[in-house]
Amino acid sequence: MKSWTRREFGRLTGAALLTALNQPKARGQAKARVVVVGGGIGGATVAKYLASSATAVDVTLVEPRQSYTTCFFSNLYLAGRRPFESLGHGYEALARQYGITVIHESAAAIHPAAKTVALNNGSKLSYDRLVVAPGIAFRDRALEGYDDAAMEIMPHAWNAGQQTRLLRQQLESMEDGGLFVLVAPPNPFRCPPAPYERASLVASYFQRRKPKAKILILDAKDSFNAQDLFQDAWNRHYPGMIEWLPAQFTGGVTAIDAKTRSMITAGGTFKAAVANVIPAQMAGRLAQQAGLANRSGWCPVDPVTFESALQPGVHLVGDAIIGGDMPKSAFCANSQAKACAFAIAADLTGSARFPAHLFNTCYTYLAPDDAFSNAISFKPVDGKLKSVISFVSKVEESSEVRRQAARAAEGWYDAFTHDVFG
Amino acid sequence: MRPVARSAIATGLVLLVSQSGVAAETDQGAQLAATCASCHRLDGGGTGIPSIIGLGEERLTNALLAYRASESSNHIMHVIALSLSDEEIASVARYVAKQGSNPR
Ligand SMILES: Cc1cc2nc3c(=O)[nH]c(=O)nc-3n(C[C@H](O)[C@H](O)[C@H](O)COP(=O)(O)OP(=O)(O)OC[C@H]3O[C@@H](n4cnc5c(N)ncnc54)[C@H](O)[C@@H]3O)c2cc1C
Repeated sequence: MKSWTRREFGRLTGAALLTALNQPKARGQAKARVVVVGGGIGGATVAKYLASSATAVDVTLVEPRQSYTTCFFSNLYLAGRRPFESLGHGYEALARQYGITVIHESAAAIHPAAKTVALNNGSKLSYDRLVVAPGIAFRDRALEGYDDAAMEIMPHAWNAGQQTRLLRQQLESMEDGGLFVLVAPPNPFRCPPAPYERASLVASYFQRRKPKAKILILDAKDSFNAQDLFQDAWNRHYPGMIEWLPAQFTGGVTAIDAKTRSMITAGGTFKAAVANVIPAQMAGRLAQQAGLANRSGWCPVDPVTFESALQPGVHLVGDAIIGGDMPKSAFCANSQAKACAFAIAADLTGSARFPAHLFNTCYTYLAPDDAFSNAISFKPVDGKLKSVISFVSKVEESSEVRRQAARAAEGWYDAFTHDVFG
Repeated sequence: MRPVARSAIATGLVLLVSQSGVAAETDQGAQLAATCASCHRLDGGGTGIPSIIGLGEERLTNALLAYRASESSNHIMHVIALSLSDEEIASVARYVAKQGSNPR
C-alpha cells in the first residue's frame, strides 16, 4: 500500500479522496472527523487547538491559499514600515507538527444533512463536525459602480494580499499634493479602528515623502472607534493633513465612478488621486450559500460552543458570526476559536468542560512609535456575548507609554501569529 | 491498626480520584494557558512582550494576583486577571510553570 505524504494527499481528488478519508485507522478505531473550512485566523486556530488537545480527532483544514497574509500590521506595510513578506504565514507547521491534513482548495458547498463538504475540485469530504470560518464578503450593490473591475482601480485592501500591494503601489506613485480618499464602511465591519489606523499610518508616510498630500475620510458613520484618541493624535502628529467627514455632512458615499476615481455623495462628488474604498460587509459567501447567515447577513451562534443556531453540527467563528459585544478582530476570532475547539473536543471525546474565557486585546498605531491598546473580557449572558470589563488607553498618556505599546505590538504580532500558524 | 485489605482499597480509590483530578486540572491549566499564548510565546521565545516561561509557579501566581488587584501596572493584564478565579489562577500558574524553555 502506498503511504501518502500530506502534499500528495492534498492533491488527491474525487472519489479517491473520499475513500482515503474514510479509510479505517490502523487499529480499526475510527476517529471522529472534524473539517475546518477557511484557514484564516479563526479556522487555523480551531484546527490547531483541536488537533493538539484531542488526539482522538482527525482534523482537516480546507483553505485555497498556500500562504495567509495578515490584515493586522498591513497598515504598517502601506506606510512603508514593514516588508510585504513579513505578513505571510504558511501552513507547514500545522500539517507537520499537529498532524492536520491541509487541503489547498475552496469549499464550494456544504450539505449539513449528509454531513459533507463539496470542494471546488469536485471531491467531497465527510465530517462528524464542521467548522466554518470564511471571514467577510462585501455586500452586493452596497456602492453603485464598485464592481470587480473598480476594485482594481480603487482597492479595498480589506482582505490582505494583492489588494494591499496595489494600494501601496498607488500611494507610492501618487504625486506630492495629491488627495488620498478613504471610504469608511458602516457598522458592523471587520476591525473597527483599522480604517482610522490606516489613515494615521498613511499620513506618517506622506509626512516623510509627500508632505503636501492630504487625506480625506468619507465615513458612512457619524462617530468611530476610539475617536478621541485618533483625533488627538492627528492634531499632534499630522496637523491639517487628515480631514474626516461624517455621514451627517455628506449623506455617505452612495456610488463611485472608477473612470474618474470619484466618490459620489448627496453632498457632492469627491475626486481622488488615490482612493481606498471599504464597502459594507457581511459574512463570507460560503456562509450565505450554506444557510448559516440570517437576514442581517451575519451568522447567529451559540455563545458557548459557537455552534450555528441555524444548522446543527456546524460551528462558526471569527468575523462571520454575530459576536454580540465582541468586535470583528483577529484576537476575538482566535479567542472564539479556542473556546469552540475545546467545546467540540468535549463533545466528541468526553473530555472535561471548563468555563471559556473570551477576550479582545488590540494594539492600534497612531504613528509608527505611538500605539494605544485596549482590552475587553466577554461572557455569554442570556445567549449573547456580553462585555464584562473593558479598558482603553487614555488621551493624556505619556509618549513613553505609547512608545512601549508600539514595541509591545511587535511582540504581540510575533507571538500571536506563532499561536495561530506556528 | 486498620485491616490491610480496607486500607488498600481506600488507597486505590484515593489514587483513582486524584488521577482523574490531575488530568482535569491539567486540561483546565492548558485551556487557560491557551489564552496566554495569544500574546506570550509558550516556547520562551519572542521579544516586546515579557516572557512568562521559567518564572516558577509562585511568581506567576503572585503576578496574576497583583494584576488582578490593581490596574496601575498594566491594563491588559488587569482585565485578563480580573476574569480569573483563585482556583483558575492556581491552575494556569501550575501549568505554565511546567512549560519548558527552548527558544528557537
Ligand atoms: C487593515 C486591517 C487591520 C487589522 N488589524 C487588526 C489588529 O490589529 N488586531 C486584530 O485583532 N484584528 C485586526 N484586523 C481584523 C482581522 O484581520 C480579522 O478580524 C480576522 O482576520 C478575522 O479572522 P477570520 O478567520 O474570521 O477571517 P479571515 O482571517 O479573513 O480568514 C478567512 C479565510 O477563509 C478562507 N475562505 C473563504 N471562503 C472559503 C471557502 N469557500 N473555502 C475555503 N476557504 C475559504 C479565506 O481564504 C481566508 O483565509 C484588521 C483588519 C484589517 C482589514
